[in-house]
Amino acid sequence: MLPPIRISLVSSDAQLTSQLQLRLQSRGHQATAMSYIDGVLGAFYSDPPDLLIVDLFADGNAGMTIVTALRSDSFFSTIPIIGLVSPADYDLFPWETYPLDDVLFLPINFSELFCRIALSFSRINRIFDNNPLTRLPGNTSIQRAIEDAMGKPLAVCHVDINHFKPYNDAFGFSHGDEVLRMLSRIMFNAVRDAGGGFCGHIGGDDFVFIASLAQVEPVCQTIIDHFDQIVLDLFDEATKRQGYYNGTNRKGEAEKIPLLSIAIAAVPMNSDKIRHVAKVAEMAAELKKQAKETEGSHFVVDQRKG
Amino acid sequence: MDEKRNELKKIIMDTKTLPTLPGVINKLNALSDNDKSSVQEMARIVSSDQVLSARILRLANSPSYGFYRVSTISNAMILLGVNVVKSLALSSSIFEIMEKNSVGLWEHSLGVGVASNMIAAKLGLPECEEIATAGLLHDIGKVIISLKCSEAEEEVRRVINEKRVYMREAEQEVIDTDHAEVGGWLAKSWFLPDKLSEPINCHHNVETSENHRIKTAVVHIADVLIKASGFGDSGDDYVPQIQQAAWDALKLNEQTVTELVEDLEDKLVEVKNFSLELQQNTDAAPN
Repeated sequence: MLPPIRISLVSSDAQLTSQLQLRLQSRGHQATAMSYIDGVLGAFYSDPPDLLIVDLFADGNAGMTIVTALRSDSFFSTIPIIGLVSPADYDLFPWETYPLDDVLFLPINFSELFCRIALSFSRINRIFDNNPLTRLPGNTSIQRAIEDAMGKPLAVCHVDINHFKPYNDAFGFSHGDEVLRMLSRIMFNAVRDAGGGFCGHIGGDDFVFIASLAQVEPVCQTIIDHFDQIVLDLFDEATKRQGYYNGTNRKGEAEKIPLLSIAIAAVPMNSDKIRHVAKVAEMAAELKKQAKETEGSHFVVDQRKG
Repeated sequence: MDEKRNELKKIIMDTKTLPTLPGVINKLNALSDNDKSSVQEMARIVSSDQVLSARILRLANSPSYGFYRVSTISNAMILLGVNVVKSLALSSSIFEIMEKNSVGLWEHSLGVGVASNMIAAKLGLPECEEIATAGLLHDIGKVIISLKCSEAEEEVRRVINEKRVYMREAEQEVIDTDHAEVGGWLAKSWFLPDKLSEPINCHHNVETSENHRIKTAVVHIADVLIKASGFGDSGDDYVPQIQQAAWDALKLNEQTVTELVEDLEDKLVEVKNFSLELQQNTDAAPN
């Protein structure tokens, strides 16, 4: 049997929520009701539901504040949000800019609600190419983001982890996955705190982010500082002191493997050299070789004038 | 009697929201508006609030994020991001309870956190920040008991005054468990790592600590020293003895303890100022 779907209901209309709760529970779903903004965001961040139903009719702007806040963090973007509106209100909303997945008119037709819930889930699964591990956008979105960035004062940055494979071999995939999730969060937070941009997960230990040229160096430095700090939590005291552990290299030989570090290659997109998306990856690969020449975490920004 | 204990345990496991101090939130907002402030600075502010610290660690270690070994506030903040931390701080809407009734307990906890850090640093122990966090959170069970069973709390106070016993003895009599055990349950239900939950659970009974006895011993001694110095209010006025298991675990002698007490006196002045500053900010903050 599938685990029950966990649904959060946000409305200040107590009668509506209790009715909804009852019907959803009768279908085997778990439904929790909440009524004000701060509480909703806190509960949402600490224990994300599978689906959110927001009453836009009774709560007006409060509902939209919640939806907008949640949609601004890509970590939560795979959670479908269904809005409830009154038929009289439907032309008041600028639907094309509202980050909702679906709407339902009040009073609720419950068979319709159940259809829309099922559809939301299948749609989200179909259209999202997000990496299931880190929940960052995958290659289709990355390709599109790089195309959009061409010619603009932005930098496309490729990130990978040095000595990741031997770490995975020595400590196991679940720990390796945790490292990938940590790097994705560090990257996402650093880019967002610097004013926003794009973050994607190519696959394995390869990531991409896009930030403004003005911010790219501080963002790279923040990612490196934070990663180097977090990494210390992943090794025991003895390993941290000696700076390496015993593992196997790519050729299968026993070797002293250094602690994890990262390499970042930043390619400015307003350069004349960039005529095609494929060129970005090629330049990034060259730069990354430079970043990997010395031990530890490093970033290199392409400075050559095209 | 087991029934009462199980019932209390159930209440605590249901805990979704806990109070936090608004002064911390103000400071956090001011810092995050300033581009140059580092995560370390923000982590220092967060660390002054035991409830917020606990919630942040709990969140960073929760299954939805998929990290399992986050034991410092600064690492938790790096992973969660400033926005999530701020939302979490703001969403605590019942902080008034803490503000009005528990300033003493908060000062006591803050003092034990600082003393734990100082002892760990003096003994050259690794992971000072974790030990400090464990010290800060060691009495979190008291906040829970006060929040979730206010009737029992009054009864506990009455027993302490009447029988002149330690708070945990009164708690045992009234609710058949004590704040250390309650704190331990909470830490477990929040998925906090063992190195934090064990010192919380065993700070009155160092011998029962199996995997993190050194950390537990540090928190225990910090608790005793802070009580002896009369800093803050932990619920009763009686200073317990330092347990033999703690002396043994840390290979302490009286000379070291004397030095610790001297160093602590200076530190406590700073802590008091910090505490007053936060409370003033709280009072001045518009509602």
